This record gives sequence, C-alpha cells and structure tokens, in this order.
Amino acid sequence: MALQKDDPDDQGSPVSGSILLEVRKLRKVYRVYRSNRDRLLEIFGKRVPSREHAAVDDVSFVLHSGETLGIIGLNGAGKSTLLKMIAGVIEPSEGEILRRGRVTALLELGTGFEPHLSGRENIYLNGELIGMRRDEIAAVEEEIIAFSELAEAIDEPLQTYSSGMIMRLAFSIALFSRPDILIVDEALSVGDAHFSAKCTRALRERKEEAMAILYVSHDLNSLKILCDRLLLLDRGRLIGEGSPDEVVRRYNFLLAGLEGEAAHSQENGSYGTFEARIESVSIRGSQSGASTLSSGEEAAIEIVIDARHEVKAVTVGIMIRDRFGQDIFGTNTLHQGLSFDLAAGTRHLCRFSMPIDLGAGRYTLTVALHKGLSHDEACIHWYDDAAEFEIAGVRGPLFAGLCRLTPAISWQKIEKR
Amino acid sequence: MKHRLYLILDFARRDLRERYIGTSMGKVWFLLSPLVTILIYTVVFSDFMKMKLQQSDVAYSYSIFLVAGLLAWNAFQTTVLRLNTSILDRAPLIRKISVPVYIFQAAILLAESLPLLISYLLAIAFLLIVGHPVTEAIFYLFPLFALQMLFSFALGAFFSLLTPFFEDLREALPIVMQLWFWMTPIVYVPEMLAHRFPALLTWNPFYLYAESYQGILLDGVAPPQSRLLLMLLIDLALLSLVAWLYKKMIPTIKDLL
Repeated sequence: MALQKDDPDDQGSPVSGSILLEVRKLRKVYRVYRSNRDRLLEIFGKRVPSREHAAVDDVSFVLHSGETLGIIGLNGAGKSTLLKMIAGVIEPSEGEILRRGRVTALLELGTGFEPHLSGRENIYLNGELIGMRRDEIAAVEEEIIAFSELAEAIDEPLQTYSSGMIMRLAFSIALFSRPDILIVDEALSVGDAHFSAKCTRALRERKEEAMAILYVSHDLNSLKILCDRLLLLDRGRLIGEGSPDEVVRRYNFLLAGLEGEAAHSQENGSYGTFEARIESVSIRGSQSGASTLSSGEEAAIEIVIDARHEVKAVTVGIMIRDRFGQDIFGTNTLHQGLSFDLAAGTRHLCRFSMPIDLGAGRYTLTVALHKGLSHDEACIHWYDDAAEFEIAGVRGPLFAGLCRLTPAISWQKIEKR
Repeated sequence: MKHRLYLILDFARRDLRERYIGTSMGKVWFLLSPLVTILIYTVVFSDFMKMKLQQSDVAYSYSIFLVAGLLAWNAFQTTVLRLNTSILDRAPLIRKISVPVYIFQAAILLAESLPLLISYLLAIAFLLIVGHPVTEAIFYLFPLFALQMLFSFALGAFFSLLTPFFEDLREALPIVMQLWFWMTPIVYVPEMLAHRFPALLTWNPFYLYAESYQGILLDGVAPPQSRLLLMLLIDLALLSLVAWLYKKMIPTIKDLL
C-alpha cells in the first residue's frame, strides 16, 4: 500500500479499515443476438445463436473503509460496467458483490434531475433516488445548498443552470447523503478549478471519517492525488493492482502500445535539409522512468541523431509546448555556447537534463537540428511533436499554474489595530 | 420497503404536479378535461342531435351511456399506453440508478388513478344536476374503479416488458387500443354487436367494465357479484403472469437499455 508521499494529510494505512466492499470473480457477459426476438426467446430457455462479449471478466478485489480505490483502463476496458454492477444498476452474469453500508453513485452529469423542477426540489428528487429518506434530506438540505454555492439560484428551475452548477449540486447531494461507499465516475472534471479543489478537500475529510471511494477517471493527475491504490483493467480483465505510480506506469505502457503504431505512420511534422536526421526522441523521469513525470522530478530528454553527411557546427534545440500548442519553454545548445561537428556516417546521443518544473498537464516536445542560433538560418531537421509527456503530481511544495517559480517568503507585522 | 412505498408516492405526486407546472390555472386543468368530455357528449348528442337510447325515455340517456363508458375508457387507455412506454421513457434513469423499475410504474398507476376518480365524482354530480336517479348501486363505482386500475396496470406492465424488445409496440399499441375501443360498446349499444359479432362481447374484458359502469350510472343497477369475481380473477391471473415475467425479464431489459 503506497500512500501519496507528497500528501501530508494522509497518515496511517487505510488497509487497517474494515472491508466495505468485496467483489468476487465478477463477470458480465453481453450477448449479441441476431435480433431482439432471439434475445427474448433466450430468456425463456430457447437456444438461439449469439456471440458473447465479456465486458468484465473474472474481476475480484476488496475495498476497505477510508480507502480510495481508482480504476483506470483504456476506453472499453469495462470500468463503467464494473461500477454499474457495484452500484446495483445492472446485474452480474457471474460472481458476487458483497456490500456493507450505503453505496451512492455519482455517475453522470444530470442523471436523476428534472430540468423544470427547482434546484431545491431536485435535491429531494435526487436524494430519494440515491436512497435517502425525506427527513434525512431535510436535515442536510441547507448544507447541500451551502456547499454547492447555489443559494441564489436554488429556487430557480434547473434548466436555467449551467452544467457546472448542476455538477456542483449533484456532487453536494452525493457528498451529504453520507454514503459508506461513494462511486465517482469522471464527474469531478466538470466543475471549475475552485470547486474541484473543494471537492477534493471534502472527499479527503470524508475519507478520514472512513468513507470509501471508488473513482474512475482518465485524469491521471487526479487519480494520483486522490487514490491510495489503483486497479488497471484491460478488456474486462484486472491486469494490475497496486500503488498509483506503479499502475499509472503500466497504464502508460498499455497506452503507448496503442499509440506506437499511429506515431510511426506520421512522418509529417518533419522538414529540413536532412544532412542529419533526428532518429528518436524520448523523455523520462529519473524516478518514474516513464513519460509521466511528477513536477519537480529530474527529466532526461534523449535525442539520437544520425548523420549521413558531414555537418559542421550543429545546434540542437528543444521546445516544450502545452496541450494548446503554446510554447512553454525552449532552449538550444548554442544558448549555452555549444555546437557540434558531425562526421558522415556517425550517430550521436544528445541529452538535456533538468528538473521539470512544470504544472500538471500534457505536453509535447519538439526537437530541431539547425545551424546558428535559430532554425530559420539553416534548418537540418525540424521534428514537431517528437515526443509526448505528462506531468502528474507534484514533488515538493504544491503550486498552481504552468511553471514553478521559487519565491522566498518573509513576514512582518506592519501595523497594530 | 417503506422507502420504496415512499418513492412511489413521491413520484406519483411529482407526476401530477409536473403536468401542471408553469400553467397558470394549475389544478383546474384536472377537472376541465373530464368536464369537457361530459359537456360535449351531452350538448352534441342529447341537445343537438336529440339522440336517445331506444329502450329508454330518459332525456339524457345516451349522454349518460356515453359518459359512463368513455370516462372509464379514457383512463384505461391512458394508463395502458403510459405504462407501455414507461421503461423506455425512464431509460436514462434506469440505466444509471439502482431503483426498481416497478416504482416508476406504480407511480404512473397512482397518478392516473386520480383523474379517473375525479371523473366519476364529476359524473355523479352530472347525474344529480340533470335530475337522473342515483341509487345505492353508485357505491359499486369504487370496487369497480380499483379492479379497473389493477387491470390497466397488469396489461400496461405486460406490454412495457415487451416494448424494449420490440420498439414497434410503441407505435402499434395506440392503434390496437383504438381498434379495441371501437370493438367495445361504448359509443354504440351492445345490441348492435350481439347478433353479428357476439364474440366481441364475450371475449372482451373491457366490456365487463363498460357494461358495469353503464349499468350503474344509467339504470342504477349494481353489477352482479359473479362479474366482479371474474374481473378479480382476470386481474390476479394477469398480475401473477406479469410478476413472473418481470422477474425473468428485467435483468435482460436493463442490459438492453
């Protein structure tokens, strides 16, 4: 059990908590029939031809009180099917689910809301649907409104709400239904940053009161921040279980396996005179060993260059761009007074090492070989988006934004009232 | 269990309210629809066309006959058709939340019961206004009403289990209901069918109801006990069938949605 090292609030091992949920050899098979008529006949015992598709196959795990368990996997890995079975929405084909306590699912935006009813009425509607009694709802109604920050709009019909407001309401209701197990499926990504942070805080507090959380997301960053343990699903099967760092790395391998083929076929984004070529570009964290790094981790960018002809005074440059394609940081060897002479038929490895003090998110790395200070003088090989990496989690003090500056903080009292 | 019962009541309440949210007259619409039905048939058939039933010399006999059958039929048809699509209509919710499907269906039954009850109270008021004799047979309206709602529920729930498999049923059932309406002596008298298509009277479960309502309102005659018993047996048989099918089919239906 690996706890997030950078999270000072987490103390003690959640494994010591009692088991709230036990899933045993769970399997969900969807059958594809020639027609719905066949499907109907099958229910009543007639044998009809059908193809089987196991959406979830032989999955077993336990969830302890106070634990946050994340589930990751590529699209179609069976994450949602698994959650639906745990929430009791669909029934498993085989296997057992043992639940202790109230399970509340915060599934999809706006589910169980009526657009023409007011926010307040929807608190009751939604609350009842997730299994609260009316008096229970009445007891927490004001808390829900306060937490969702919707006091002004609460008596307006829901159709006047923005999606962010609906998400805030849904999350608040789920939170104050005081479930023993809360199931969260991607929902946290909808709200604004302020509310996301508030949700994260609230979830942490509830964790300390022994609530268990099942969390599904594609946002590796939030998984790393929130989860004690991750499950990795691939085509319905549980193929990995362990600490977030470890499982995210395996997930990245899985992801790369798919993306590799696509990357090879893309030869565009490259131009130049090609006396020498950039053969490969990789970026790795010194600790993670993968292209998902924590902010502040030492990163090594390795560029392999293959010179076919002799080229003198070559500059190697890198440019990091964010997911919007904005230039975040760029430098080249000549900025540090370095340039290289390449003999014909030689290969070279150029390494840039630096602490990667960037904010969380996805980035691309563009690499260029050129002469002089800038590529517009003589461009040998310009390679756009040669590598990708992701920053998830922060080493050292937390910060907001795209880059880490290191302010010194001083304090003095300037006036007494 | 208590919570489920509560959910049913609450969904029924919401169902009724939602229909009239945003309307300025609110609850008045509830009364208006059966009131207009009664009024139209009275004015058009009895006042304009001077239609009477042959065997009766009461002034409003045909109107009373019509109103008795029509109010019941309207409630029956609405309930069956709403239930028919109830699972598909609630699919977004059923897909996401673990609430038993029958909760939504029972809520529809409750919500649709109220208009029928109001209709019959209005019909009784109408009888009193036109000076038609009202006998103690009128009290049979209540067991009849309960039996009819159970019947509509069983039938509607039965189709609701099939509709997810055959979406054509959504379009087909309203047409079937329309045919059924005209095959039942509601607008015309049963004697018109008795000679040519007697089977339509014998094998038509809704005719049991129409005949009883017409008897109570027009002639002040209570339906025979044997008929009520038959209705009850039909209801129980249908309900048990539906319960059995429900258990068997719901898991697959949830996968299908």
